[in-house]
Amino acid sequence: MSTDPSADATPPVPPILAATGITMRFGDVVANRDVDFDVRPGEVHALLGENGAGKSTLMKVLYGVNQPQEGTVAVDGEAVDLASPVTARRLGIGMVFQDLRLVPALTVQENVELSVPGLPRGRDAARTAITSAGEAHGIPVDPARLVRQLSLAERQQVEILRALMAQARVLILDEPTSALAPQEVAALLDTIRGLRADGLGVVVITHKLAEAREVADRVTVLRGGEVVVAGRAPEEFTDAELVQHMVGVTVPVLPQDRAPVPRDRRPALEVAQLDVDTDDGRRAIRGATFSVAPGEIVGVAGVSGNGQRELADAVMGLLPRCEGRIEVAGHRVRPGSPRDALAAGAVHVPEDPVSDSVVSGLSVLEHLVLDGREHPATQLSMDWAGITRDGTAMRDQAALRLAPLSAGMATLSGGNIQRVLLARAFAARDLSLLVVAYPARGLDIASVRATQAELLRLRDAGVGILMVSEDLDELFTIADRILVLHDGEVAGIVDPAATTRQDVGRLMLQGAAA
Amino acid sequence: MTTSEDVLATAEVDGRTRRRPPGLPLDPVRARGLVRWVVAVTTAVAIYVVFLLVQGADPATVVSAMVRAAAGSPGNIADTLVRATPLLLAALAVAVPARAGLFNIGGEGQLVIGAVAAAGAARVLGGAPTAVALPTMALVGAVAGLAWALLAGALKVFTATNEAISTLLLNYIATLLLTWLVFGPWKDPASLGQAYSPRLEEGQQLPDLLSGSLHVGVLMAVAVAVVVWVVLRTTSWGFQLRVVGGNPEAARRAGLRVSRLQVGALAVGGLIAGLGGMIEVAGVEERLRPEMMVGFGFVGFLASWLARHDPLKAILAAVVLGAIAIGGNGLKVAAGLSGSAVNILMAVLLLAVLGWARPSTAGGR
Repeated sequence: MSTDPSADATPPVPPILAATGITMRFGDVVANRDVDFDVRPGEVHALLGENGAGKSTLMKVLYGVNQPQEGTVAVDGEAVDLASPVTARRLGIGMVFQDLRLVPALTVQENVELSVPGLPRGRDAARTAITSAGEAHGIPVDPARLVRQLSLAERQQVEILRALMAQARVLILDEPTSALAPQEVAALLDTIRGLRADGLGVVVITHKLAEAREVADRVTVLRGGEVVVAGRAPEEFTDAELVQHMVGVTVPVLPQDRAPVPRDRRPALEVAQLDVDTDDGRRAIRGATFSVAPGEIVGVAGVSGNGQRELADAVMGLLPRCEGRIEVAGHRVRPGSPRDALAAGAVHVPEDPVSDSVVSGLSVLEHLVLDGREHPATQLSMDWAGITRDGTAMRDQAALRLAPLSAGMATLSGGNIQRVLLARAFAARDLSLLVVAYPARGLDIASVRATQAELLRLRDAGVGILMVSEDLDELFTIADRILVLHDGEVAGIVDPAATTRQDVGRLMLQGAAA
Repeated sequence: MTTSEDVLATAEVDGRTRRRPPGLPLDPVRARGLVRWVVAVTTAVAIYVVFLLVQGADPATVVSAMVRAAAGSPGNIADTLVRATPLLLAALAVAVPARAGLFNIGGEGQLVIGAVAAAGAARVLGGAPTAVALPTMALVGAVAGLAWALLAGALKVFTATNEAISTLLLNYIATLLLTWLVFGPWKDPASLGQAYSPRLEEGQQLPDLLSGSLHVGVLMAVAVAVVVWVVLRTTSWGFQLRVVGGNPEAARRAGLRVSRLQVGALAVGGLIAGLGGMIEVAGVEERLRPEMMVGFGFVGFLASWLARHDPLKAILAAVVLGAIAIGGNGLKVAAGLSGSAVNILMAVLLLAVLGWARPSTAGGR
């Protein structure tokens, strides 16, 4: 008999969703081994673990994407056969994937209509239903906007609302905060708390301990496909203990002493009086003037959708509707001419890797060639033997663990795609400027640290780095200066050593007037 | 020559993304593709059999008559190969742009323009020796096909017109141009009211192989297929086409000249079809005739999709479709059906293959 008085006082609420003894193999690889996991109504259960620990595999079992070889899934205590996501959705299980699954060319309303059965008929009625559902859950959305024009945070809100409108009782969020600003993270965590108060079961896949602590009632830690911490309260552990459970090893610390930024040399990037218009005629950047010295990391901070994407794309020559001057290592970049930027030694890791850098049907190796440099060739033919040799060497030496070179890029997880793009950028020839958006996207703790170490190594080697990030901790850790964007304008360029996070947050929210 | 696939076949395979159970010769993704392909083709044939039964024909008789007509004798086999030749070149004209994610529906128009230009060159050349006449005609035909496809390419780049629409509409313009020529300025005065151009000179006709009915263009087409296969597999250009076909935005961000590659792929397609037109006029028809290319472009389209845009497999697909077309000649005798009844078989094949055989995008692997 239990001696814990609380166990007698309230009988435990039966879980809405429970997985027992799940074993999931892909060929010889065991992605999940004998995993138990459950979520009760009105609780938030965080699933922690490294990239490749089997978190996403487990969630895909719960969402009916993967059919495990062993184990059972029960909804409301009854065993169910989750043959497909359709079945899972019908049983009230909703999922928001890390790489969001909305149709960019359609409006918010059309995307909701696509996947939510039983919406009221008629355009206006459906629109009202969406707006009022948004208000009820504290998720403001504009049904008329094109998803293409939304920030990632806004798209995520649409996905969450869509799942809620499809009557989800369990909501699974895969790395939901990986690209959000502090304020957006806070808003999302508030939304999650609201869902918990409404009696939903929420599963949050994450590797951010602070957020897990802040919002989760219980945490489960997976490592190597097995449960190492099973549904315990986060207060039972220190951060160091949780990291130890997740990683299994100790994470190295970053070097503290940095070379001074050389201010006397030709800038790696010079931007003067830059105005950028988007395809739909919106002015995304106004009068931006700044420079990045060789051997300097300039971080770009801002609330999602304040021009970060357009600034990075414009610098790379990807946007045709620009006014002003952009020079990479002294070479003019004409608007709409990415070849100018690439030829001057720039390399880019885009904000949305899946749609902007992943080519369906091509392997990891074939993606390594697409670094914006001339393709290795012998006379008429591509030098695949040499490319394979170089790729294999790169994979062996890369600070980041890469997927097999023969794997189809489009079949990889977001984190593994990011590793390939980062490794490709780090290894590019004649690198003068690295424009990288959200370098830590989808990566585990050890990989984030390895990526930051690589960025610092390139910085010390004289590369200029423009790094868009919404993780202020990251910016304060490695940036030499932080450029804050607000509503398309440079609200300020600050020295992180002489500025507080609160000051940067004010610039992000209120602009230069702050 | 080495390709990425060959090299990777020997590279390590240790990740969980590669799900190949030991003992299975095909990985599941490929096996599934093959199954879909077989199901699609079988379904199409089944629909055709139902059609035959409805028509009161005995499918067994029909099939054996078709097989006899297409492959019953060396002469019949030669007929099949001769028919397969323009189909193969039309298929390659589809396959190359498909690598870049483009739909060239204009094979027929490009064949027609190639034939018209080659016949025009022959008129100008007159009695020039064969060694001058045939290469000139081939060159002029190919360049004309290229130019015709470039029209669609220019429309795509400068006015963002979908190439599927523009190439389709250019078919009608090409065919009407051919019709106008053979009814008007190029009409053979000795044709007694028939609309066709004068017969080509002896030295302007493709030489025969072996017996009389097989011309040298058959070998030319196979050679083109092999060259296209090698170019697509090994060259940087072929690789870049695959990148553009897989994700044009990623291609742009990698510094590839996307528009130039797309226009180039269309142009090469047009070039191949233009050569096909020259071969058809100099090897088979030996004059221009309004209906000479009817349906070839679409059957070539079908051949390319059956072959999944693989140039070597397209040879096989073209021969099979050529056999079906020639086999249609046997229908009249055997079942009292019109020879064009085989078009129904080809049409359902096309629909089945487009509908089922290939869920992913064109041009990928």
